[in-house]
Amino acid sequence: MSDFTVAQPRPLPARPTKFRRATEESPLTRVTLILLTVGGLALLVFAPLLVVFAEAMADGWATSVASLGNREAWSAIRLTLLITAMAVPMNAVFGIAAAWFITKFDFRGKAFLITLIDLPFSVSPVVAGLCLVLLFGANSMLGGWLVAHGYPIVFAVPGIVLATVFVTFPFVARELIPVMIEQGRTEEEAALTLGASGWRTFRTVTLPNIRWALLYGTLLCTARAMGEFGAVSVVSGKIRGQTATMPITIEMMYNEYLSVAAFSMAALLTALALITLTLKTVMELRLSDQLSATRRH
Amino acid sequence: MAMLSIVVLLPIGALLLQGAQFGLGNIWDTVNRERVWAALFLSFKLAFFAALFNLIFGVLLAWVLVRYRFPGKRLIDAAVDLPFALPTAVAGIALTALYAPNGVLGSLAAQIGWKIAYTQWGIFLALVFVGLPFVTRTVQPVVEEIETEVEEVSATLGASRFYTMRHVILPMLTPAALTGFALALARAVGEYGSVIFIAGNIPLKTEIAPLLIVIQLEEFNYDAAGAIGIAMLVISFAMLLSINLIQIFSRRRIGHV
Amino acid sequence: MHIDIDDIAKDFGTSTALLPVSLSIPSGALVALLGPSGSGKTTLLRILGGLEFPTSGRVLFNGQDATGMTVQERRAGFVFQSYALFRHMTVFDNIAYGLNARPRAQRPPKAEIARRVTKLLDLIQLPHIGGRYPSQLSGGQRQRVALARALAIEPRMLLLDEPFGALDAKVRKELRQGLRDIHDETGLTTIFVTHDQEEAMELADLVVVMSMGRIEQIGRPHDIREKPATEFVRDFVGV
Repeated sequence: MSDFTVAQPRPLPARPTKFRRATEESPLTRVTLILLTVGGLALLVFAPLLVVFAEAMADGWATSVASLGNREAWSAIRLTLLITAMAVPMNAVFGIAAAWFITKFDFRGKAFLITLIDLPFSVSPVVAGLCLVLLFGANSMLGGWLVAHGYPIVFAVPGIVLATVFVTFPFVARELIPVMIEQGRTEEEAALTLGASGWRTFRTVTLPNIRWALLYGTLLCTARAMGEFGAVSVVSGKIRGQTATMPITIEMMYNEYLSVAAFSMAALLTALALITLTLKTVMELRLSDQLSATRRH
Repeated sequence: MAMLSIVVLLPIGALLLQGAQFGLGNIWDTVNRERVWAALFLSFKLAFFAALFNLIFGVLLAWVLVRYRFPGKRLIDAAVDLPFALPTAVAGIALTALYAPNGVLGSLAAQIGWKIAYTQWGIFLALVFVGLPFVTRTVQPVVEEIETEVEEVSATLGASRFYTMRHVILPMLTPAALTGFALALARAVGEYGSVIFIAGNIPLKTEIAPLLIVIQLEEFNYDAAGAIGIAMLVISFAMLLSINLIQIFSRRRIGHV
Repeated sequence: MHIDIDDIAKDFGTSTALLPVSLSIPSGALVALLGPSGSGKTTLLRILGGLEFPTSGRVLFNGQDATGMTVQERRAGFVFQSYALFRHMTVFDNIAYGLNARPRAQRPPKAEIARRVTKLLDLIQLPHIGGRYPSQLSGGQRQRVALARALAIEPRMLLLDEPFGALDAKVRKELRQGLRDIHDETGLTTIFVTHDQEEAMELADLVVVMSMGRIEQIGRPHDIREKPATEFVRDFVGV
């Protein structure tokens, strides 16, 4: 077979080439790619981060802190904390329920349900807010009835909570579903056959298994809940001291050219975001440990 | 599941009901105006380009973060998630302060005659920011799972590193990268908070579709707001559907070894 | 092509994978590197293929120093234990890969590539699977496709890492004969790594027994069985 005759050796290259693994790029390519990506992130992420703190401190510490002390700023901070404290537990409970339902039972339309849970991610927050206004606004049937009975939802706190819940809906469930699929049902079935009640099984078997994923999802949910702007700005009505959350207050201050005040509050939220990221990085390590531990058995 | 219906389905149902009452003809008349078309076109155009930028940058970033070792890598890895954690309004005012003509970077750009804030470039920048983590985070685990033997075998067959990248590695990353692209696109189309500060919001030029909805709502013009909202839903849905179809097709073809 | 391994050693950080070893492989031989895991046999194979760089020593191809040659320049057909097929390409495209990857000036025309791929598919006795994807093949078929892909570049030698390691006993026997036939037909210098002494003895012209980064014995299967040079060889070959 002429195709497979042993080829004659070509003259060898004289240069003693510096060895490079077959799975590596040339050093020049590597340095270029690292500089490109780090540079891009510096312009996009690190620079804005620095600007927030720099602008907040533009007139010194004292001015910055004082700007957070007035009544309006305080009520915004309190409102944001209240909303978060209401929306996050709701979504945590829902997330557990949905993930449990999806992973432990087989039923038709499962894929549809998963898509539905993800829906809030692909709907613009503004459109989400719009939907709530249309549903609960004073001139809709339901909204009109509620307002007449003294339960206004739009332009009031319940509307903001609903908007926040809508927008942060998928976070917990999305984190839990993969972990629960990984774990399967065997442990729970074992516990049930041993005579444990459903609730007891959940508390002693399921919950410990999912706690890191649950914390992680809750954390993401919290970060988003505190910062939500688009949906909230549509339903809140932006009433100073009543329905203005921290992000809304930042917008109002910024539009009134109160730069230091706006950036001081922004710096507060940024600090919270940085804490969130730190916690998240720590949890990711725990979560990956846990995932690899479950894979081992 | 009752909660799912109350919190998610009911509001969207309300939007569709509103649209049904308003009538298809009226919706069309509302959308078919120069200002609305311009805003919709702008939103989808810039979202597409921002997602495209993030597609390329995100794949590079995922590769660098998995394969290379350099000082500060942990910090960079954590920073990728900042756009998820930072409230959009904060991102909006920070980017504006930075890239406005009197800002630190904006003034540098102005010297070469490049206006960023209050132009479409500014919107593009904000949309790149909010969509940054999606592609990186979907591609990263796939890069981690590439068996190095596939790259080695390619080299033993005589392929240059570039040829291996182009013909072996990129095709393996494509499905995940497309998922990330779709997520970034969906996010960018609906983005409001970070954009309105940097956009300048000039009708026909830098006015995005979500802002137009807000404006209609502030004038209590619920019909028009609903019409634009429905138009956005329909277009996003069509885009995401086509991306999903491309993916299903490519997954089916490749299968798993 | 004959291969000389001249005092090759390899360290990974602080651990030593290979003590200085020397070995001469005549042109056209079918050689087995036999040993337990951790004996350094795979490291030696990867050094020959250019996938690892030796800490010291030289590799000579036909008497000329090849130590500094890149993987691409060596033209060694390499078959991995996992086969490492490109799962997003058809069998045809997998086999044609090395030819398509050549710079334009050296690339054969399309029709010529197709002709060669067809010929190789005949050689591995799977003429009709060109249009399939790797996920649609059995383990034994994948192994043969990986072999055909390595042969397509007209390699100067064939290097196989545990080529039958992932297969069940029956298929393993069949494919052993297949490799022997292909070797005899092409006349390529062929080196394969195995931990299975029966496989080494049955298939190879020359067996190199390795342990702990050292060569324990080099010889024809018969000699190794009859006259084991060390205690280790006696135990491992199990006489």
